[in-house]
Amino acid sequence: MNRILTITGLTWKAAFRYRLFWVLAVLLATSVVAFPLLLKDDGTARGLTQILLTYTLSAITGLLGFSTLWLSCGTLARDIEECQMQVVSVKPIGRWQIWLGKWIGVVSLNAALVGLSGAGVYALLQFRADTLPPAQQTILKKEIFVARASAKPTPPNMELLVAAVLQKRIKQLSGAGTLPNEALLRKQITQMVLAENLSVKPGSFKRFVVELGANFVKSLNRESLNRDNAVRVRGQTLQVRVKFRSSDPLAAEGAVYQTLWQVGVPESGNIKRLEKLLPAESFQEFELPPDMFDSEGRLTLDFYNANDVALWFGQDDGLEVFYTESTFGMNFIRGLGIILCWLALLASIGLAASSWLSFPVAAFASITVLVMGLCSGILSSAIEQGTIFGLDHETNQPVQPAFDSVILPIFKSALAVINLVKDFSPIDSLSTGRSITWGELGLAFAQIVLLMGGIFAAAGIALFSRRELAAAQVNS
Amino acid sequence: MTDTHPQTAAKSSEVIIAVRGLTKVFKDFWGRPKARAVDNVDFEVRRGEVFGLLGPNGSGKSTTVKMLLGLLYPTRGHIEVFGHSPRHVATKARIGYLPEESYLYRFLDCHETLDFFGNLFDLSPSERKSRNEQLLEMVGLSQIRTRVVGEFSKGMQRRIGLAQALINDPDLVILDEPTSGLDPIGCREVKDLIVTLAKRGKTVILSSHLLADVEDVCDHVVIYYGGKIQADGSLNDLLTNHDAIRITSPPLRAETMQKVLETIRQDVAADKVEIDNPRQNLESYFLDVVRKARENAAETSGATSGNRVAAYLRGDSDAPSWGRPPVCRFQEPLAPRSLTDSPSAPEPIQKVDQAKLQSLVRNTDPSVPVAPPPATTAPAVDLTKANVAPMWGRPPVCRYQEPLAPRSLTDSPPAPDPVQKLDQSKLQALVRNTDPSVPVAPPPASTAPTVNLNKANEKLASLLNKPK
Repeated sequence: MNRILTITGLTWKAAFRYRLFWVLAVLLATSVVAFPLLLKDDGTARGLTQILLTYTLSAITGLLGFSTLWLSCGTLARDIEECQMQVVSVKPIGRWQIWLGKWIGVVSLNAALVGLSGAGVYALLQFRADTLPPAQQTILKKEIFVARASAKPTPPNMELLVAAVLQKRIKQLSGAGTLPNEALLRKQITQMVLAENLSVKPGSFKRFVVELGANFVKSLNRESLNRDNAVRVRGQTLQVRVKFRSSDPLAAEGAVYQTLWQVGVPESGNIKRLEKLLPAESFQEFELPPDMFDSEGRLTLDFYNANDVALWFGQDDGLEVFYTESTFGMNFIRGLGIILCWLALLASIGLAASSWLSFPVAAFASITVLVMGLCSGILSSAIEQGTIFGLDHETNQPVQPAFDSVILPIFKSALAVINLVKDFSPIDSLSTGRSITWGELGLAFAQIVLLMGGIFAAAGIALFSRRELAAAQVNS
Repeated sequence: MTDTHPQTAAKSSEVIIAVRGLTKVFKDFWGRPKARAVDNVDFEVRRGEVFGLLGPNGSGKSTTVKMLLGLLYPTRGHIEVFGHSPRHVATKARIGYLPEESYLYRFLDCHETLDFFGNLFDLSPSERKSRNEQLLEMVGLSQIRTRVVGEFSKGMQRRIGLAQALINDPDLVILDEPTSGLDPIGCREVKDLIVTLAKRGKTVILSSHLLADVEDVCDHVVIYYGGKIQADGSLNDLLTNHDAIRITSPPLRAETMQKVLETIRQDVAADKVEIDNPRQNLESYFLDVVRKARENAAETSGATSGNRVAAYLRGDSDAPSWGRPPVCRFQEPLAPRSLTDSPSAPEPIQKVDQAKLQSLVRNTDPSVPVAPPPATTAPAVDLTKANVAPMWGRPPVCRYQEPLAPRSLTDSPPAPDPVQKLDQSKLQALVRNTDPSVPVAPPPASTAPTVNLNKANEKLASLLNKPK
């Protein structure tokens, strides 16, 4: 381990002696502390945090992402090209130790820079929050400067529902002597079942049952045992975030709808009703009275549609319940931890490329990989459409089906790999006050650093170990 | 193969490096052969040997070194270093390597450089500190330890490079052009160090195209050309001329000289005898001048010289300074041994190895090959003091006084030069300086005119007959 840390120390010294560290520190300070002081917000707590956190954390990720690729490519490729590696590798240190030492050096440098810039962002947030009106400061403290866990209603098993209706319908049609087109019938029935489950007709109601989750139940149990370290969930007001659409195509923009909500444990006296005037097509949050869940952490919400048009709640974003799980500070640190996981992966990519390519080529190749990763939206839209070159307008069939049959599986694989990394969105979570759990951070570490980074590291170390170090030199 | 070098006391039969059928073909991007840098090379290096890889630029010696270190991989053939593959990590703890250029980190200073490499050898902090101090002192960089390597001259970079190669007290030291970029003092010090290391049983591989460096320190050489070994053997075997002998002595009285000449003429034709004053070589003369200048000089902003070899490299605490090895086989006997020695005073005590003398006497017939003296006779000579020229079958310093024509690789051992001429002024100088208290004046370099030997003898006789 001493040898690995020696290489790590060398990477640090190089970063300081070549002034890379200070240049990056100044750039980060300018971009995430100085510039945001000039940013205008809409005067709301949500607007302020959304702008500040999104901008600053994106700037940190982008700036350190590119510098990580550059540094990781340079630290190995330049050592090989300028022949210092010839002197190092003839010492009793394995090539894998050199590689790992450099990786740890780059990642630890990033950790220091992420920590410094994160502290700057945190201080900036506190400073800007003090300028908000008192009402907005309250929202900020309750909804954003917290770490809120969220829970969604348990979705019905649509496949089972569709299958049951489909069987019934096929029997009916077969009895009538009509042979149905099963694919078409399944499509129609799926749409019908979705409509029945997601829409609330005028004068009817829809029940949302939300399991608040194992962590919530754990907190409940801790409280019952009077543990001091438990975040208190009893007596805590929960927040509901809803988004619905109106079935009225002629509804004016910004039109509001009367919504009636009943919350509490069914068939018990612990029930309360709320009336809210809410606009459609946007996320809206309101508070629920405390302690309206049952002993198993189950919350039941009934929505009554008092309007004369049907309202639709999306399956993914229709309704979500939040409760405070942790503090903003710890959440912020975990968020930065996920960003650091991304940077660790980039360090692996850069070092892997420089293990067998010259510095400029390695830098170009690894930055290209980064850009392709950022452009994953193109892959997903192609996969959604089922074609790369589009559909023939007349036949509605893919223009190049043979080509699609080869490329689409590759796209799917690539997207699956990219999503292993992109599934984590600490910037979005932090700016909306969502909790980033330790479990989520651990999963990010496992998926991004160990799995993805490990694949690149294994490839890089294998290539570096096989490389003839005296075959590549530029200064002799 | 005979081993009569003074440094080979520590030499053993243990094979440190074994190379068999080594071939390296560099290929282009498409895998097509581009250049055959090393072609079917075999050699062995034994413990305690100073092994020279000689050859012109591009002959394959550096490629061989890099394959020995695992920096290049052989296309064919087999290499064992300490019984393992060159890529065996643990084996590298026993190797020190000085590359042909300074491949050090330019942003580290001297101390940090040595500390970094000491860490790679897992040396304890106290050991690193101690060795750093000794090495920096040894290579003359202790006064500028906080200057970064990037600011160094080439010679200073070579010095710190040499220090890093020795931080682990290696059993095998591989030096690629170690004197490249060094001033004459630095060159001398490096060669002294090599001898010191060899005396301790360390194995040294020296790759160089500087023939004098290799000749001065190596026991065994291989000569490369075109990727192939063209000659392989001990320097003794390769360079000794068994058809002539040289006797070196302090200035003699005229009567003694006359007797000696007469005795020799009884067995050897007059035109086969040559008499001259040995000259010290330019290196020795230069070192003496610098020594004198240093005695009065102010501080230097560069590297210093004349420092002690690091104690852990000497293996004892009372070894001579870096610049004065315990055994200086490559030094001119009349020349100063170190910067602190007297520059020209001959040693008063002369000892002759009787066995060697016997062997020389027995082999007066040029048709009979000279039997190499047995290795066990070597200790009989006081090697630090002996002034008898053929210590190990050849003069200690050959390059400025070897009377024979240089050999090519294809030549048979050359016959002695048939034309023997005596320089008149030399002869007079020889005769005039019979008084040992009077220093011998070096002959003027421009005095080329020669005389017939018979005339010289007449002149000598007339000089001797002059009344004093």
